Amino acid sequence: MPNAILDPTGTATTSTGTSSTGKQAAPRAPRPVSLQGKRVGLLINTKNNARPFLEEVGRLLEDRYDVTLTQRTKVNFAVPEPENVIKELIAENDVIITGVGDCGSCSAAAAADGVVLESAGVPVAAIITESFIPTADAMAALRGAPGYKYATTAHPVAVLTEDKVKERAAQVLDDVVALLVEPEKVEE
Amino acid sequence: MTAANTEGAADIAAAAPDPDEAQRAIEYCYEQGWSDGLPLVPVSKPLLDQFLATTDKDPEEIIGSLEQVGRDVNVYLAAINAAMAGCKPEYFPVVLAAFEALMRERAARGGGFQSTSGPSPLIVVNGPIRKELGFNTAGGAFGPGFRPNATIPRAIGLLVRNGFGIHPHVLEQATQGLPGRWQVCVAENEEESPWEPLAENGGVTGGVSAVTATLTRTMEFVDNRHTPNHEDVLRDFQDTISRIGSQIFPLSSVALVLCPEHAQMFASAGMSKADVQNWLLERCGRTGAELTSMGKAEVNRKGFRGEYDGDEAFHKFLAGPTSIPVIVAGAKNAAISMVVRIFGEWSGTSVPVVEK
Repeated sequence: MPNAILDPTGTATTSTGTSSTGKQAAPRAPRPVSLQGKRVGLLINTKNNARPFLEEVGRLLEDRYDVTLTQRTKVNFAVPEPENVIKELIAENDVIITGVGDCGSCSAAAAADGVVLESAGVPVAAIITESFIPTADAMAALRGAPGYKYATTAHPVAVLTEDKVKERAAQVLDDVVALLVEPEKVEE
Repeated sequence: MTAANTEGAADIAAAAPDPDEAQRAIEYCYEQGWSDGLPLVPVSKPLLDQFLATTDKDPEEIIGSLEQVGRDVNVYLAAINAAMAGCKPEYFPVVLAAFEALMRERAARGGGFQSTSGPSPLIVVNGPIRKELGFNTAGGAFGPGFRPNATIPRAIGLLVRNGFGIHPHVLEQATQGLPGRWQVCVAENEEESPWEPLAENGGVTGGVSAVTATLTRTMEFVDNRHTPNHEDVLRDFQDTISRIGSQIFPLSSVALVLCPEHAQMFASAGMSKADVQNWLLERCGRTGAELTSMGKAEVNRKGFRGEYDGDEAFHKFLAGPTSIPVIVAGAKNAAISMVVRIFGEWSGTSVPVVEK
């Protein structure tokens, strides 16, 4: 019998060539029926224009739903937040919006933060640019949440003028809200 | 066919590998998604055992973790990937040292392998291991043509791909990457260097074999065989190092890979390695106005460590000696050196090669 060819990945591989860590599926947080009066956390990843983008989303939510905003910048845009920060985010907020994932590591980190916070019971809307859909999807799958939903905006964001940033924030607003709430079903 | 040849035919058949079987094995590796695009050596248990026999490390020992992707790499996986890359078993201690050196880099741990900048390691080997394993220490330092120089960086690339599961277009998001990605392993030309080896700057003294690694974004040559004045040559380096295109943070880093001729010119003028570094540290940079004129206002306003002194002020790009490691490599046949752009910053440390 010939020798087997050894697997260099240390995992079972799928047909896409990406590997799965075999973790249990991560749960999705229960949604409020509305954002009315909720505490909304903005987790800003420090990338260019991320702050004005999220601040504008926050401002629009204040106008529309009378939300209370909290704000925090990511410790390191490239990697998921450490456990102590996650704990504080959970304590301080009812829902969280994070972004803008506009690079290889930060888009993946946005998805990873989203999955972790969802598991802890807080709904998240991560915003990434369209160029990074594959990497956000791959990271979510790695974290046990294949098909994890986030909001997207066109790439690039970093070089937009102030007015354009506001325009983009307004455009993505409905998607962000839809990710964070689950309106009560009306009985027929 | 002569009688002698007929008699020898059976022996030759026994000794020569079966090319059809080898091709099937190579294709099998491609189909699994393990390859960087080039053929891999299919690894069997007997080959793996030869690699593991070169180190005292436990095959299960974890030698690198990427928390964000939830993956660990152990000695066992490193050995398989090194064998696949075409390394000989005796190269394995160098692979282990190179990987350890690379994982000391903050950028490597913090998402560098996923980055749009698509960085690639510069691996530098020092000490007697260079000759023992047959590294190229002379002309054509950046390759190709020499098995250890070519296969060791490839092993690291395969380990990132397979061990950490970072694949192009998925978790790896390089916009363009760079030529020579996972292909650069320089053995320092210690014999023609007028100065201490890089490993000594990285804290490994006494001529012990050691590996240094840092992530890089590309490189650019400085060809200056036109003047006997060493300060003219230094100014030429200053000009190349001070480019704005690579400036994305207030401070940056470069590795200076000097050819023996340039290094010896500086040494003859009485300069130590530190003198060359200090000369350039003081002078490499641009004015605030120049940065602003190229749309890099954010780069300088964010602070040169918190201090933006206005458009007229000169902003130095390099922070200290670890921002400009100096290596001597290549042939002493022309005054051609290389400025290598470091991604992030070098850890400032080297890792001894531990042979069993």
